[in-house]
Amino acid sequence: MMSRKLPHGACLAALLLAGGSFVAQAETLRAPLKELISVQMDVQSLLPKIRSAVVAIRTHDGTASGVIINAEGLILTAAHVAEKPGREMLVVLDDGKKVKATTLGLDKTTDAALMQLHDTDIIWPHVKLNRNVLSATPGTWCFALGHPGGFDQERGVVLRVGKVIRQTANALQTDCVLMGGDSGGPLFNLNGEVIGIHSQIWEERDHNMHVSMAPFLRSWDEMKSSLVIRVWDTGSGGYLGAAVNLNAAGKIEVLEVLKGSPAQQAGLLAGDIVEALETLTLNSAPQFSNAVRARAAGDEVMLQIRRGENAKEMRIKLGTRPKEDEG
Amino acid sequence: MRVCFTFLLLLASLSHADTRPQLTNDERTNGKQILADVEPTLPAARASVAQIESPRGKPVATAVWVGVEGYFLTKASEVPELEKHRIRWEKDKTAAIREIRRLSSHDLVLAQAVHVQARTPVQFEATTPETAYGQWLAAPVKGGREIRIGVISAQTRRIQGFGAAMGIRMDDQPSKIPGVRISGMADESPAALAGLRKGDVLTALDGKAATSMKDVSALIQSFQPGDFIEVKYTRDGKTSSTRVRLASRTKIMMNWDGEDFANGGISLRTDNFAQVIQHDLPLSPSDMGSPLFDLNGHALGINIARVDRVTTFALPSSVFWKEIEPLIEADRHPPKALKPGDQVKDSSRTRQGLVKDSSRTRQGVVKGSR
Repeated sequence: MMSRKLPHGACLAALLLAGGSFVAQAETLRAPLKELISVQMDVQSLLPKIRSAVVAIRTHDGTASGVIINAEGLILTAAHVAEKPGREMLVVLDDGKKVKATTLGLDKTTDAALMQLHDTDIIWPHVKLNRNVLSATPGTWCFALGHPGGFDQERGVVLRVGKVIRQTANALQTDCVLMGGDSGGPLFNLNGEVIGIHSQIWEERDHNMHVSMAPFLRSWDEMKSSLVIRVWDTGSGGYLGAAVNLNAAGKIEVLEVLKGSPAQQAGLLAGDIVEALETLTLNSAPQFSNAVRARAAGDEVMLQIRRGENAKEMRIKLGTRPKEDEG
Repeated sequence: MRVCFTFLLLLASLSHADTRPQLTNDERTNGKQILADVEPTLPAARASVAQIESPRGKPVATAVWVGVEGYFLTKASEVPELEKHRIRWEKDKTAAIREIRRLSSHDLVLAQAVHVQARTPVQFEATTPETAYGQWLAAPVKGGREIRIGVISAQTRRIQGFGAAMGIRMDDQPSKIPGVRISGMADESPAALAGLRKGDVLTALDGKAATSMKDVSALIQSFQPGDFIEVKYTRDGKTSSTRVRLASRTKIMMNWDGEDFANGGISLRTDNFAQVIQHDLPLSPSDMGSPLFDLNGHALGINIARVDRVTTFALPSSVFWKEIEPLIEADRHPPKALKPGDQVKDSSRTRQGLVKDSSRTRQGVVKGSR
């Protein structure tokens, strides 16, 4: 199947502006629509606060998007937009003002990248990123902002509202439809926190992929110091070294613990039931796997274990995945 | 038997991606669950439309009923020869079409389904109800079989026109044969769809000799997207002719290498509108002409152009309703609706009207683009 990265080669023509205002749906609506209306109210109250943090980025051969996440002007974008560290690019702000930024590090395995705006003396408009990566579960309402087709002052930043369809260790799939030029733009939850960065589309309308916050949080220091992550063992997250399955009772049961793995060193045994990871109650094997891989190697996690009649807490320091297991 | 779903954490790779929990189609934004909630608030929405079918039975556009005696509006550029089409509002209910008036400036055409009575028209207002960025909207799709929702996704604004195009690059060098050589072609361009190829030499357009690139460009610019243009050309010394269906220049330039995952394609005319509401409803080009509603059931306007994967434009009712309402009244008094047994008039007359109309619009476009 074909997939396509999103920078866009062409710019839309400039058009004439007619302003819009924010109004809520005033009339009474049927009860089942309450969910939609509550989503709309959240999105509409967040938009004026967060849109100034969303930027367009001019790369050497196209246009893309990004989002400012601190007052000093640090930008999250996609690795296929940044391409390599130390590259100077033009950034177009929400009001059309053009400023300069330089790419920092990037994680090519997951398509995550950082950029720094040059002027660090002013206080940049910015948004928060969501540190509870696993909260973006399938069904969560979310919205995408970006500059599809390039920056267009009269059109403004383009909004799409939808739901998370799938969550993987490093990515989210949503039905917020994306296209060329959206790359690097932010996906928000209804608290106005960034939960994803637009990365790729596939042919179908619901095939819109975003980098989750996991690779950013995991490799923050590396990316800030302009390193390029190219291989999975540094980029793929924490490693436990245990095989689990969902047993007949609907519990996560350890099937096998690998020799020399972090799990074995911590004393995990085959037959143990893993009830929770930190505050997350576990009810599926992929959910457990995601929770482990969303954390960085070196992080300590607390597992709540049931062994026979006994409940115990176990602290395990996650390792990196052994190289021979790659692929 | 116990369901054993083994998951090796250390080997968890992309191949496991498909086993992860995933939102079903029914649970998605435009899935059955949400649409079941939306539909009761829009009782008239699905019955307010019908499908315009080509002579071969292919749905090409959507009609919205605007008067009880079968009066309807649809997207003009998708139906240059409207009276050759039929209108279908139920599986086994179709009618012939009488064209009343083309408003090229809005890309709308007013027409009547012949011998059709008692359709429930949409109540458009001369002042469009207030709308806002981020507001939910809904529209009937597939000729009224389903509903889709989405939000206002950008500023309401004017969309400047850049005229029509065939999607060809032409040669500067004078060729041996008098005419203009095609040196390149856009992917799925109007020219390619009409059977033209790279290397063909255009000798005449619309009955006028093609002598220079400048002439050809100017002539094409005098047409509207959606119009047919008669093209004479020579290939390997042999002269032939074909009809090219023109598209918006903007559409062709933005998609020279093919439509970028547009899902079902994009409209022929995507620009030159006095004002548009931009939204993210998942619509197809053949859904254009359908009405756009807010969740209170107010009709806001008409979906007028599928632009790309993320963009649909709708004309707010304030742009067109003041012009349409008197046209329906004038057509009704004295009644011009056909009586049973009358012949639907020949469509060649309509084509002349169309060309005249478009030349008028061209002047507006040229002036506006300077």
